[in-house]
Amino acid sequence: MSGPLLEQFSYDNKIVKYFGAATIIWGITGMLIGVIAATQLFLPEANMGNPYTTFGRLRPLHTNAVIFAFVGNAIFAGVYYSMPRLLKAPMWNKTLSWFHFWGWQIIILSAVITLPLGLTSSKEYAELEWPIDIAITIVWVAFGANMIGTLIKRREKHMYVAIWFYLASFVTVAVLHIFNSLALPVSLFKSYSAYAGVQDALVQWWYGHNAVAFFLTTPFLGLMYYYLPKAANRPVYSYKLSIIHFWSLIFIYIWAGPHHLLYTALPEWAQVLGVAFSIMLIAPSWGGMVNGLLTLRGAWDKVRVDPVLKFMVVAVTAYGMATFEGPLLSLKNVNAIAHYTDWIVAHVHIGGLGWNGFLTFSMLYWLWPKMWRTNLYSVKLANTHFWLGTLGILFYALPMYVAALTQSLMWKEFGDAGRLAYPNFLETVIQIVPMYMLRAFGGLLYLSGAIIMVYNLVKTAAAGSFLEEEADEAPALAKHVSTKGEFWHRAWERKPVFFTILATVAILIGGVVEIIPTILIKSNVPTISSVEPYTPLELQGRDLYISNGCVGCHSQMIRPFRSETERYGEYSKAGEYVYDRPFLWGSKRTGPDLHRVGGKYPDSWHYHHMVDPRTMSPGSLMPPYPWMTTNLMDHSNIGAKIRTMQKLGVPYPEGYDEAAINDLNAQAESIVAGLKESGVEVLPESEIVALIAYLQRLGTDISKTTSSNP
Amino acid sequence: MEKTSTRFHDETRTTCFHCGELCDEEIILHDDKDFCCTGCKTVYDVLNENDLCDYYDISETPGSNQKKENSRFNRFDYLDDPEVLDKLVDFKDDKNIHVTFYVPLIHCASCIWLLENLHRLHEGIFYSRVDFINKKVQVKFSREKIGLKDLVSLMAGIGYEPQIQLSDMVHPKKPAVDRKLIYKLAVAGFCFGNMMFFSLPEYFSEAELLGDGFRELFHYLNVLLALPVVFYSATDYFRNAWMSLKNKSVSMEVPIALGISTLFLYSLYEIFVIGQEGYLDTMGGLLFFLLVGKWYQQKTFDTLSFDRDYTSYFPIAVSRMVKDREEVIPLTKIQVGDRISVRNEELVPADSLLLDEAALIDYSFVTGEEVPVRVQKGALVYAGGRLKGSSVQLLVQKSPSQGYLTDLWNQETFNKGDQEDSLASLATRISGKFTLTVLLIAFGALIYWSFYDLPMGVRAFTAVLIITCPCALAMSTPFTLGNVMRIFGKRGFFLKNSQVIEKLAMVDTLVFDKTGTLTSPSKAQIHYEGEALSEETLSVLKALVNHSIHPLSNRINRWLGDIPAARLERVEEVPGKGLKAIYKSQDVFLGAASISGMNDKTGSKSKGNKVHLLIEGVHLGTFYIESGMREGMAEMIQALDKSHYLHLLSGDQDHERPFLEEKFGPGMHMHFQQSPKDKLNQIHRLREEGKQVLMVGDGLNDSGALKAGQVGIAVTENISHFSPASDALLDGEKLRYLPAYLEFARLGRRIIKSSFGLSFTYNALGVFFAVQGLVSPVFCAILMPASSISVVLFTTLATNYFARQKGMNEKPTSGWK
Amino acid sequence: MEVIFVLIGVSLVMAGGFLWLFFKAVKSGQYDDHHTPAMRILFDQKAKNKTNKKTPKKTK
Repeated sequence: MSGPLLEQFSYDNKIVKYFGAATIIWGITGMLIGVIAATQLFLPEANMGNPYTTFGRLRPLHTNAVIFAFVGNAIFAGVYYSMPRLLKAPMWNKTLSWFHFWGWQIIILSAVITLPLGLTSSKEYAELEWPIDIAITIVWVAFGANMIGTLIKRREKHMYVAIWFYLASFVTVAVLHIFNSLALPVSLFKSYSAYAGVQDALVQWWYGHNAVAFFLTTPFLGLMYYYLPKAANRPVYSYKLSIIHFWSLIFIYIWAGPHHLLYTALPEWAQVLGVAFSIMLIAPSWGGMVNGLLTLRGAWDKVRVDPVLKFMVVAVTAYGMATFEGPLLSLKNVNAIAHYTDWIVAHVHIGGLGWNGFLTFSMLYWLWPKMWRTNLYSVKLANTHFWLGTLGILFYALPMYVAALTQSLMWKEFGDAGRLAYPNFLETVIQIVPMYMLRAFGGLLYLSGAIIMVYNLVKTAAAGSFLEEEADEAPALAKHVSTKGEFWHRAWERKPVFFTILATVAILIGGVVEIIPTILIKSNVPTISSVEPYTPLELQGRDLYISNGCVGCHSQMIRPFRSETERYGEYSKAGEYVYDRPFLWGSKRTGPDLHRVGGKYPDSWHYHHMVDPRTMSPGSLMPPYPWMTTNLMDHSNIGAKIRTMQKLGVPYPEGYDEAAINDLNAQAESIVAGLKESGVEVLPESEIVALIAYLQRLGTDISKTTSSNP
Repeated sequence: MEKTSTRFHDETRTTCFHCGELCDEEIILHDDKDFCCTGCKTVYDVLNENDLCDYYDISETPGSNQKKENSRFNRFDYLDDPEVLDKLVDFKDDKNIHVTFYVPLIHCASCIWLLENLHRLHEGIFYSRVDFINKKVQVKFSREKIGLKDLVSLMAGIGYEPQIQLSDMVHPKKPAVDRKLIYKLAVAGFCFGNMMFFSLPEYFSEAELLGDGFRELFHYLNVLLALPVVFYSATDYFRNAWMSLKNKSVSMEVPIALGISTLFLYSLYEIFVIGQEGYLDTMGGLLFFLLVGKWYQQKTFDTLSFDRDYTSYFPIAVSRMVKDREEVIPLTKIQVGDRISVRNEELVPADSLLLDEAALIDYSFVTGEEVPVRVQKGALVYAGGRLKGSSVQLLVQKSPSQGYLTDLWNQETFNKGDQEDSLASLATRISGKFTLTVLLIAFGALIYWSFYDLPMGVRAFTAVLIITCPCALAMSTPFTLGNVMRIFGKRGFFLKNSQVIEKLAMVDTLVFDKTGTLTSPSKAQIHYEGEALSEETLSVLKALVNHSIHPLSNRINRWLGDIPAARLERVEEVPGKGLKAIYKSQDVFLGAASISGMNDKTGSKSKGNKVHLLIEGVHLGTFYIESGMREGMAEMIQALDKSHYLHLLSGDQDHERPFLEEKFGPGMHMHFQQSPKDKLNQIHRLREEGKQVLMVGDGLNDSGALKAGQVGIAVTENISHFSPASDALLDGEKLRYLPAYLEFARLGRRIIKSSFGLSFTYNALGVFFAVQGLVSPVFCAILMPASSISVVLFTTLATNYFARQKGMNEKPTSGWK
Repeated sequence: MEVIFVLIGVSLVMAGGFLWLFFKAVKSGQYDDHHTPAMRILFDQKAKNKTNKKTPKKTK
């Protein structure tokens, strides 16, 4: 054996420090935007009267900032600290690590710029436009390659369960992201989704659910399995249980997502499978919770005193609650009440604030003293942060439950004469405004706790001396000398770069082989004869609707309940969405459902309503959009848009891309004329005209067929 | 190194820094820490030098006591022998060696930490990993830098001496854990889970559900997923069924294999011919649950796998005299005619002739007789005898396998054929008839229905086949017995296999061995009657007993404690009688009554061996040494007396008969001076009288007798060290719970019988409905796994419930050394 | 609704991939010892801190 058998190497803490700092910075920004958005929901003035800070655009910024920036960086910090120590080898390649770090921060920056500008694909948790999607893929593959490289060079034969969780998260998120971001670009900042209507909904929520599952849960379970035992200095309760619950989750990983679309136009058998899968999900996720909590068996006296453990206990309990509430929410009758209400928001935030937030805080409180080789600056401050955070979660979640039930039951209530007890949607909104205030207060508490943490960590860092490279030594794993006639695949496996490229190529080929048939062959969604593609002006209006994030508060899916058909009109059929690229069903009704709003109000009503909603419906929470009447839309790209739509299979007549501009101007002129009669002066190119064209078209196709259609 | 001094405290409760035990004999203050013995101190020094002191703060006092380390320097010499090396190591190439040791002393996180940092103790070692549950450590080291012998002595030096059993040498390494079953289980689970999803839409909404494209898609996907299940996971069942059919018997696997193939073929028929959904998900489920059952059963047997034959406690290495130079060789290499030298306390490995003048051989292993026998030059010494006193040379007459002891064991009593009426064989016998009846009924139904409505006929046929569940029969016995064994295992009562439980339940006669079973060596009570002994007399006594290694003098020696010994001349030990010596021209005698010329009937009421002390012929007093009875023996015997015939066989003289009769009452028939052959014949006599005999013994000598009885239980102090090939191993302290164990075994049998009843009623009902075609195969496909699970649940819950009821659930004997 | 082919195809491929990974893991003996790794992660830094304090060796 050449040289000493014991190899010296060191762990790079610098990258962990940077990712940790990024976590804190983006955490604070994300939470701050969250608090602002919460205040906007009961105080329209908080929208600050400009398109960039209205709720429609702040909400996606909040979700992306908290999920991909705060939780993302926390995962990378946790992985870059724990993985080398578990495998007794430094991360495979330092430049790759830094490429991953700066790449990820640049992507976040690009999101902070594009989302307020309204450049969004409107697909929830995947709002970023296609160039950024490509950047995300590259950086994510770099992260994966770095992990797999470290695995190849490891000095510890056994891969601890946390490693399996990290790897599973990498692989699944990579595949999910690729499939959900499939879109045909129109220009640098605009693209249309490869799927349409119902199918786009299913793929989006197949991604949406698993962004939650494989970005917010499995990597965090990996972090829990490393940091909880380290903080409590006790081995995990049952290592065998952790292995079983990991593999059982991975093996039956098909039907995630449809439980977001219950009672919608999604075919019923897909909904049934979604429900079954969600119920089945309880077992693996509670396996993780039980394993985490029982690790502290016998260490509860430590929990009373050590803030890190306190955070972890609440985090794991919140995880257990959220993963139990989720499956219950996906039961059809519960979903009938909860869907589109604040109950979903409460469920998301118990998981987000409780599980992800608190586990990240505990990890940071544990990591900082370790990396700076000193004690935490003030345990008292950490405890105050803990209590502020816990109160924050309670003040957030409980009002939301109350608000959800009040609103949902008011929607469904019928007076004795068989008519809706609250026909006007606004009555249900005004009722729950106090709950929104309490929720904002809860958010504020949580944010202030986080700020205290920042102060605490900064002081800790100031007191300690940062340990750049932590030395360690371990014997090399027996080099597997490739014997003659060895199985070729084994040899390939030991060449990391080569193998990673191969793997990605294989996945892409597999993906392409499956995607092309879906795009080419005619969709077999039951088409309704009278539904036609949008006119050019309506298409521009739809893109405006998307860029202003109206989908954040308005849904476009009427469920087959009497209370909804009474309130909105005929329930929505799958066939009506055939030309909706991307689909705009929405997931929260802060405002009423708009799928049958076409022709319900005159153009002038829409005009005045957009300028100042409170004039038309007093007490409304909708932010004002006065600039829409003055801003002019650049319709020059309508040709490119029509061509892209034709490529995606929308049956515009041949060569319509040149003629589209004339139809657009004609329709704009007629709307302007209409508005003129009711005393409103507006230019044909202004945004309001396109928006009115789109709003008036919504849901009108179905009534064009023979009147007998019920 | 800091100053080392020895402080004398008797009352302070100082504990040793290394092993945490009370420093009763001496307290060594070193590096301002207390140690109970030099052994612990040296281990601490070794660790301190190599900066491994974190060992002490991972868990407190992690070390093991080093007091009685027999640090004979060359006891590891045999490891240098290349042949031994080949047998012991896992992997060897020219540069480095991988070896796996069994280290029973691994018990805490510190042990793991220390043993995984061996590479910092010696540069030659480059990899060491511990497997905590099996207490094994795998070490990889480079040959040039460190030899196997130095590695083992290094590990012994830090208190973790690996235990090397002869059985490791003689038998090849146990094959790697059977992973085939895990693969099959994983495939079955994977396919079953995914198939369920493709079949779910069929179950739920009856309305025209699937888009036309998807019904076939899901059916074909189901078939795709079913292929690996049938052709990979189920191969065991098909192979066993085929083999059992080949030799004309109908084993348990035949109905299962039939059920699987019918389900598979009928599903293919339904999917491809008539476009229905088929029952592939049920088949997947059926197989998944069967494999889980098999895995559970195999896991419980693995943890309890022990069947050490006699080779495991003969000394593994012997020193052979080659031209009067001592050479250490492994036992298996001794040939007849070799001259070997055996030291004090070592077992004589093979029948051989004594070359020295005389030797004192203690045959407690062989005859159970504690008092050693004096052997003259040229006399035959039997294998298994333990040498007492200075080392002697012997001429080997027989190689170990033909030794006197093994003759005893190789008699036909050893291979106990399976009794006829054991439940396991009952289950397989019934299943033969069961399958035939099921086939008959199924075909009958098919024929009956084929006249009216063939699809209904096929439905009924498959329904009958599917709903009748032989697996309840197959699973209830292993699960119950597996569970009972697990509960026993927790209480320190390890059974070799589940048949033992059934035999335990059938036992009506109990035969006890005295030495080591009812009596525990560590609990001998001594008390002295006579004049008070002065300091001087005590020191004389101490000197006297120091000279003799007789068990009785050992006990007196321990009773005297740590007092200085006086100087004596002309010390002479009259074997079997006592010790004589001269002290300041007074002759002192300590020993049995017969030699001291005084009558034995001193009329004192205390029982046990009497040892008299005379100085100058004047009788000062007598030591009464009762062989310490284990506590709770009396109550145990009374409890057993009600339900069983009781016998006591002992190799000793019967001087303890009055004492035992008074303690155990009349029910116990006692026989003394029983040689192993007598014991064997005694058991044969009982068995001829048709009695079901349970032999409870401990020593090597009664191992033959242990095998002779229906069930043989070996009572031991330290399970990993001493375990003859018997049916069960019982911890010494747990012997008093024997009545409860027997009662629990009978209970297990009753539970199995009731589960048979349950399964029979279920099958009868199932067939009744299935024949009329009232039950759709889908429903009975759910019923069948449900039935086997319900049976399994019923048996497990019943055993646990009764275990709690019988108070068996108190603190299990976990860290039992 | 033929996007279902994509979803099922991708999910089956991924689930199958993980099944293969499971086989590879079991074959390479990852799960022979399923208790000690949980304790092993607790050991790492304690002994090393002393060396770090004195001379953090600059390697590579």
